[in-house]
Amino acid sequence: MLHEGWTENPDTLNPAYAYLTQSYTIFDLIYNGLTTESPDGKYVGALAKDWSVAADNVTWTIHLKEGIKWHNGEDLKASDIAWAINAVMEHPDWWSSTSNYANGFKEVTAPDDHMVQIVTEYPIANMEYRLSFLYAVYPPDFNKFTSAEELQNFNNFNAIGTGPFKINVFDKDKGILILDANQDYFDGGPHIDQMIFQKFDNADALIQALKVGDIDLISEVPATAFETIKSYAGVQAVKEDGRYFNELILNSVAETNDPAPKRNPAILDPAVRLAIASAINKQDLVDVVLQGIGSPGDTIVPPTLGGGFWHNPNIQEVKFDIAAANKILDDAGYKAGADGVRTDGKDRLEFRLQFPTQNPVYPRIADMLASNFQQIGIKADVEAVDTDSLTAAVTPTGDYDMVIWGWGPDPDPDFILSVLTTDQFISGGWSDSGYHSPEYDQLYLDQQEAIDKSQRQQIVWKMQDMVFNDRPYIVLYYEKLLQAYRSDRFTGFIESPLGIDIAQSLLNVTAVK
Amino acid sequence: MSRRDYLLRKLGFSLMTVVIVLVINFVLFRILPGDPVRAVIGRNVRISPEVQQALRVQFGLDKPVFPDQFLDTVGQWARGNLGISWSLRRPVKDILLAKLVNTVILIGLGQIFAIVLGVVLGLLAGWKRKSAVDVSALTFSLIAWAVPTFWLGIILLAAGSSWLGLPTGGIVSPANVSKPLYAVLPDLGRHLILPTLTLTILYLGEYMLIMRSSILEVLGEDYILTAKAKGMSQWQVLMRHGLKNAMLPIVTLIALNLGFTVSGAIYIETVFSYDGLGKLFQDALTKQDYPLLQGAFLLLAVSVILANMSADVLYTYLDPRVKAN
Repeated sequence: MLHEGWTENPDTLNPAYAYLTQSYTIFDLIYNGLTTESPDGKYVGALAKDWSVAADNVTWTIHLKEGIKWHNGEDLKASDIAWAINAVMEHPDWWSSTSNYANGFKEVTAPDDHMVQIVTEYPIANMEYRLSFLYAVYPPDFNKFTSAEELQNFNNFNAIGTGPFKINVFDKDKGILILDANQDYFDGGPHIDQMIFQKFDNADALIQALKVGDIDLISEVPATAFETIKSYAGVQAVKEDGRYFNELILNSVAETNDPAPKRNPAILDPAVRLAIASAINKQDLVDVVLQGIGSPGDTIVPPTLGGGFWHNPNIQEVKFDIAAANKILDDAGYKAGADGVRTDGKDRLEFRLQFPTQNPVYPRIADMLASNFQQIGIKADVEAVDTDSLTAAVTPTGDYDMVIWGWGPDPDPDFILSVLTTDQFISGGWSDSGYHSPEYDQLYLDQQEAIDKSQRQQIVWKMQDMVFNDRPYIVLYYEKLLQAYRSDRFTGFIESPLGIDIAQSLLNVTAVK
Repeated sequence: MSRRDYLLRKLGFSLMTVVIVLVINFVLFRILPGDPVRAVIGRNVRISPEVQQALRVQFGLDKPVFPDQFLDTVGQWARGNLGISWSLRRPVKDILLAKLVNTVILIGLGQIFAIVLGVVLGLLAGWKRKSAVDVSALTFSLIAWAVPTFWLGIILLAAGSSWLGLPTGGIVSPANVSKPLYAVLPDLGRHLILPTLTLTILYLGEYMLIMRSSILEVLGEDYILTAKAKGMSQWQVLMRHGLKNAMLPIVTLIALNLGFTVSGAIYIETVFSYDGLGKLFQDALTKQDYPLLQGAFLLLAVSVILANMSADVLYTYLDPRVKAN
């Protein structure tokens, strides 16, 4: 029995309406998609044995593995999978957390018990990724709902899936979720008999629990505790490159936006942007603020996506160089005034530097940036803003100059690339920079349909180049994923950016004799 | 005024207060900045604007706050329905009831220990003023009252789990999670030791200090001198004339504390991952879950009002002056 501690419960076990990462951790253990991401970032078959797309680029044929059973012992049929995907296609607003994965699907059928066929409206490049999140849910549990509200109020705490673990009990109030090993799992059952997930409401108690052995694994170790945990006897601390990054957003909202953006127009000057980028010491941010738990960042596609396949390695980082930054501003005609702040006679280089209060690291980053900017004659007025108010000021209002914020991209680059498209700068959209480049928008559509992987890679690289050079975002650093486990009790974890508690890793774990 | 009239009038005022609280709650949460749909779904998901809009419609947020949302809410309340939590997707009433029981167990135990120990210590300290008992009780109480809740909780958690093998969190062990609480009392008890101890220490000081000053004041009264002059023993004077009169401020304090501790155990519940109302309030607020927030604050208001009412009722028994007026 492996006892894992975390600080949040899954919000639900119903994939139609699940927003917390903890829910997806559990989905990965109890459900299966047709495919799944493996620790090296490539997609492998889960329910699917193989898959291929026809020459028309829109007809996908997927063969299932043999001997797949639901947790209640019934056989899984291809028609069950077709039903589950059709349910999402039919009512995208009911399936609010999965509907994006079925966007552009035209028809899903099951020609026989072991074959699924998907026809799409246009070529879909990231099909494998999408199929990994379209979980096979047990149709009899899901075919009785008549409205979005009914479906979404269904918590599915007694979920029936096909995954390597099955639900024993989930008591959300008490914060305890118990999974039993599914010994009939089609890829071979787990070596551990049970997984327990327990919610702790504060991180200190969680760490104490690992120390005294109440729990065996922590899914997310706070950065401040990482060094302490390393010194515990019988505990192994794991540090992996993560997916999250943090960036400095520079207001790039179109002048024609409605409402008109409120900002110091000097923020649009490419010379100012380059000077700002040159005045940021990313290594220092990582060393001082993050105590080394991170790595300097450059593009919006972190090196961990797709095992590194999507990250553009050719981008030349802007060197931290105060003298060079000063020269750029000198050459652009910005002269220091009596108070040391530069101006070109029209615009004074004084900007708001805001950040949401949600992240305890941001105030210190803001202070470091402001003191660097001061050395190049740029005045930054640092201000902490409540997260909701900042969201409202940013999208689609454009009332800001510079903002520190972060993203946790999906495994596929599509989502993080979409964040910088013009379409997303609307109420409820994800764009915060207001970046609006017709060329970028077109490339975004192109990469969605580029079935050929290396062709898509080229487009994705080009898009990273554009964002890097236009600087709606200056990516500051990539976060690390910190986990820890009792190595005196368990062994065999697979360490990867996906975490040591994914199904593929837990299937490999054995108790120390 | 008869006691009945007095109580009826108090009851009337209480009901009025509840109604005002309901209205204020409705307004208060809606003037907070931000978008509840975004708060519920978080930032790192791929929810299209259309789907967000669908959720907004489902929650009734597409309609104007007044009169539509207000009338909807009032209509639900009138039918005794507190609505369904947006973030937890369960009826608010069920959630609150489940957590209330747990919080009452914790608060109840903690308060009982704190009251009994606090009153006894205060009485002793006041009675034996300037003795070693007084000085040490006073020092201890001042420290206990001043110590930050969170800090004390963490210290006790670390010490208790390392040296005594007490649980680091939760209300029962995972193995007992499917059983009803009454069937696993020893396990529940083990989980309650540290949070109860923390709560007791924190409130003990307050009760002791109030009791001490109150008894000192009473012991200086003329009727105490009279009682002594009648030849009663010190113990009789203290119990029959001192304690009853000195209890009045304590009753007020207990009533206030009981009302507020329904929410006030937030820190202790958070430190010990105890499944109670405190953490629920915090979650509801960060997720801008209006139905849950409204339900939670209604419960809070009602418990404060109830506690105050019971203090009023108790006063009519303890203090003859209340009856006379």
